[in-house]
Amino acid sequence: MIATIGNALLTGAFIVSVLAVITYAVASNTENRRVQRLSHLLWGVKGLFILISSGALIWLIMTHQFQYYYVWNYTSLDLETKYLFSAFYGGQEGSFMLWIICSFFVGLGLIRWTRKPYKAPVMFVMALTQMFLLSMLVGWDLGFSKLGASPFRTIAQEMPNAPFIQANPDFAPADGSGLNDLLKSPWMMIHPPIIFVGFSMMTVPFAFAIASLWTKTYHEWIRPALPWTLAANLSLLTAIFLGGYWAYVTLSFGGYWAWDPVENASLVPWLIGTAGIHAMIIQRHSSRAHKASLFFAILAYVSIIYQTFLTRSGVLADQSVHSFVDLGLYNQLLAFILTVTILGIGFYLYRYRELPSPESESKFLSREFMTFTGAMLLFILGFVIIIGTSSPILGRLFVENPTPPDIQFYNNWSMPIVMVMGIATVIGQYLFWQKHTWESLAGAMVMPLLITSVATILSIIFGEVRNLYYMLYIFTAWFTIVGNAFVMFSLLKKNPKLIGGSLTHFGFGALLIGIIASSAYTEPLLDEQTANYNKRVEAGDVFDEEGFEINQGVEMFELELDRPKLINDTYMVTYEGYDLSDTPRPGQQSYKLRFEPIDGGEPFYLDPVVYPMLTSSGPNSIQWSVDPDVRTGWLSDIYIYVAGSKYVEKRNEEVEEAAENTMMPVADRSADSTDVKQIELSKGETATAGPFTFRFIDFAPASEESVPENTQIGIRSLVRVTHEPTGAAYDVEPLFAVYTENEESYTYSPPLTIDRWDFEVMFTRINPETDSVELSVVGLDEEFQEDWVLIVAEKKPYVSVVWLGTFLLMFGFSISIMRHWKREKDTAKREEEA
Amino acid sequence: MKPKILIGVVSIVLFTSLLMYNFGNSISTYVNFEQAESRSTSHVIGTWDDTQSYGFSKETMRFTFYMKDEDGNVRRVIYPKPKPNNFEEATQLVVIGEMRNSAFHADEMLMKCPSKYNDSDDLEFVNAEESI
Repeated sequence: MIATIGNALLTGAFIVSVLAVITYAVASNTENRRVQRLSHLLWGVKGLFILISSGALIWLIMTHQFQYYYVWNYTSLDLETKYLFSAFYGGQEGSFMLWIICSFFVGLGLIRWTRKPYKAPVMFVMALTQMFLLSMLVGWDLGFSKLGASPFRTIAQEMPNAPFIQANPDFAPADGSGLNDLLKSPWMMIHPPIIFVGFSMMTVPFAFAIASLWTKTYHEWIRPALPWTLAANLSLLTAIFLGGYWAYVTLSFGGYWAWDPVENASLVPWLIGTAGIHAMIIQRHSSRAHKASLFFAILAYVSIIYQTFLTRSGVLADQSVHSFVDLGLYNQLLAFILTVTILGIGFYLYRYRELPSPESESKFLSREFMTFTGAMLLFILGFVIIIGTSSPILGRLFVENPTPPDIQFYNNWSMPIVMVMGIATVIGQYLFWQKHTWESLAGAMVMPLLITSVATILSIIFGEVRNLYYMLYIFTAWFTIVGNAFVMFSLLKKNPKLIGGSLTHFGFGALLIGIIASSAYTEPLLDEQTANYNKRVEAGDVFDEEGFEINQGVEMFELELDRPKLINDTYMVTYEGYDLSDTPRPGQQSYKLRFEPIDGGEPFYLDPVVYPMLTSSGPNSIQWSVDPDVRTGWLSDIYIYVAGSKYVEKRNEEVEEAAENTMMPVADRSADSTDVKQIELSKGETATAGPFTFRFIDFAPASEESVPENTQIGIRSLVRVTHEPTGAAYDVEPLFAVYTENEESYTYSPPLTIDRWDFEVMFTRINPETDSVELSVVGLDEEFQEDWVLIVAEKKPYVSVVWLGTFLLMFGFSISIMRHWKREKDTAKREEEA
Repeated sequence: MKPKILIGVVSIVLFTSLLMYNFGNSISTYVNFEQAESRSTSHVIGTWDDTQSYGFSKETMRFTFYMKDEDGNVRRVIYPKPKPNNFEEATQLVVIGEMRNSAFHADEMLMKCPSKYNDSDDLEFVNAEESI
């Protein structure tokens, strides 16, 4: 019932959005107020429908109605409430709904705040994009093809030919298959909504650009569009930051950025949007760059839809760690991207000749030229990343079955581009606030350059930088920081409200320094033996069993329980065992690692986690996933995860054995299960078994409560069991008793378990003549190894600076948003009064 | 034509060709083990050959297994890291590295797993059914 309503409302929302597209188009052409009001009403109705429909989906998820495919596929009974809620947008369909909801609210804001003549055409574009997004969700069967996939479809509709559906069409599983373990993270609750807020807001500059082309008013549109674009960029930046931080601290991606297609999908619109902001600022100040601001505003949204197409159509399925389920939306997404491109770029080219051009060229040393250079560089960087991300399509020009490009492709291209960008920000900022000639600029640059040089030299010396290219990069990064800081301080004295731009550029400089330090100077933390091995590998002195040179070092070290190792000559690291727990993930192990700085600093603990991925583990094997631990510091982070452990290996063996056993006849099962070893010892004597020694110290009395009734003899033996390699020892006192029952004598030898080593000791016989005892040890493994873990640890310097740079960027954007928004409001007020 | 436009066009063409040239070099194609013999780095797609021995050696810190490529060639693969956690589950493996003496030395290994994040397969459905 609920699902039927939800589905009907989705369909309704789609139909209403088609109507809204038509009425907004009419309203744009006729400026009929009644049609416009009707269109707004349709917008509101559509929003109401989609909100109720989302509520219905959330209700189905919360009440565990597993007959619905979406609910079954993304949730389960044991999922915590907060993750049940975020499972709403955990899948392809739900994330479209979230996107639509965000766009709806953005649309409400536009209806409220947009002035004439833009309101109707802007809302027309908003309605058009909503129509396409909603078409992904209606799930109509058109006969020749399906239109969208409804989140309310049942399992029976999803797989009508499955045997259990044929047998029972109302089949409803008792439990769902659960949310992917990687998504059970608090970050999951905020990262996707912010992304979609950013995507929705980035529709606004696109809509304004179209509205400007439609109404042929090319000057005014940027005033309302600028604060929206800034806000869209702030959201995208926040989302990118959250995604990077999430990847870094809880997913073992190894860092905060991997040039993954989905990461690029939010970076490219951000870059192009930022290019648009630069162009709009030139246009606002100097009435130039009309063409560029229109072009970038259109392109930013086109790039969002293009990247959506790449990540959701299945094109990238093999390439991304988080590509979406392929729902067969390829054609629809293709139609979406083509419509947006043709509407945007086509309209732009159609009007191109009418667009205002500047009467004179701008000089090289002008704020217009420098700001425009910044915009172009941002665009070029975005373009390079689009080329790289498009490898499944573009790569076919070169090879048949293209792989993704090397990470180096992105690094090699972005490095020189951001270096030029850094220099341009400083010169641009200087020229932005004051006119300069070459001479006056050179004069103004003396102090910044001096400080930059000192900072660079210090970085090179203390950072042990040997690479000339990196030295140059560090110089430009410091120049960006210092130069923009100068501009910022002089602005602070005049008018602090104006510092948005220089603060943003200052943050960009910090980001540049942080990125090079944390990525190029990450070093593995290793023990001395492994480090020496790696040195020999580097020198080409290590060969494998077949005589071939080994050219890969080992980037992990092994720790045995309670045996400290000196790591990197700085830390004594001790593995102190693991804790098993069932929250938040069943069967997770948290490994206790104690780091003691040898120079006398405060010891600290790191607790990397390993857990079984229940949603993707089968009965015959377990998939393990790791949750790294990061110790953050101002100067450097220690990043650590468990690459293997005795516990994990043992569990895998057990599962494998269980899988084999189920295939074996029952009689064979217990063939070698009891492995008993007898040890005979006189007082004071020691015997060895595997890595263990057993020393019989003395007899000890047995208390009456511990022995059976009618006991004739009851005695304990004090035995010390030692694990020789570690020196760990336990004293055990196994009991031996002889008792009579029904006039027969029995012996009683209860086993004592040593948990740590997983075997049992029994006192099974006593020899009164020699005063010696016989011990039976059950389950002792001659090849017993003490508990161990394999650790991958890295020291990443100045990750904190990356975050700092990002925060400064966000802060700078926020200041600019407030400034431009306030001016826009003031203009609106003045117009109303006039 | 104005010289400025000419310079602009030339630099755009130069930039784009350099970019595409470099892009073309940085991507690669998937090959089989035989083709990999004559290449420096290769991407090979295949499946794990579970009939032969495999495992991680703590002495050499390497994981070795046999892999069958898409054309049926079976080769020993040496991977200098612990066994990836979901190795046995993988329906497809991609190894990136080079062939030396008829063994493939992988620097990187990607696994395609039947996890529901990438596709929803009917295999898991069987489990859900059993749980009733």
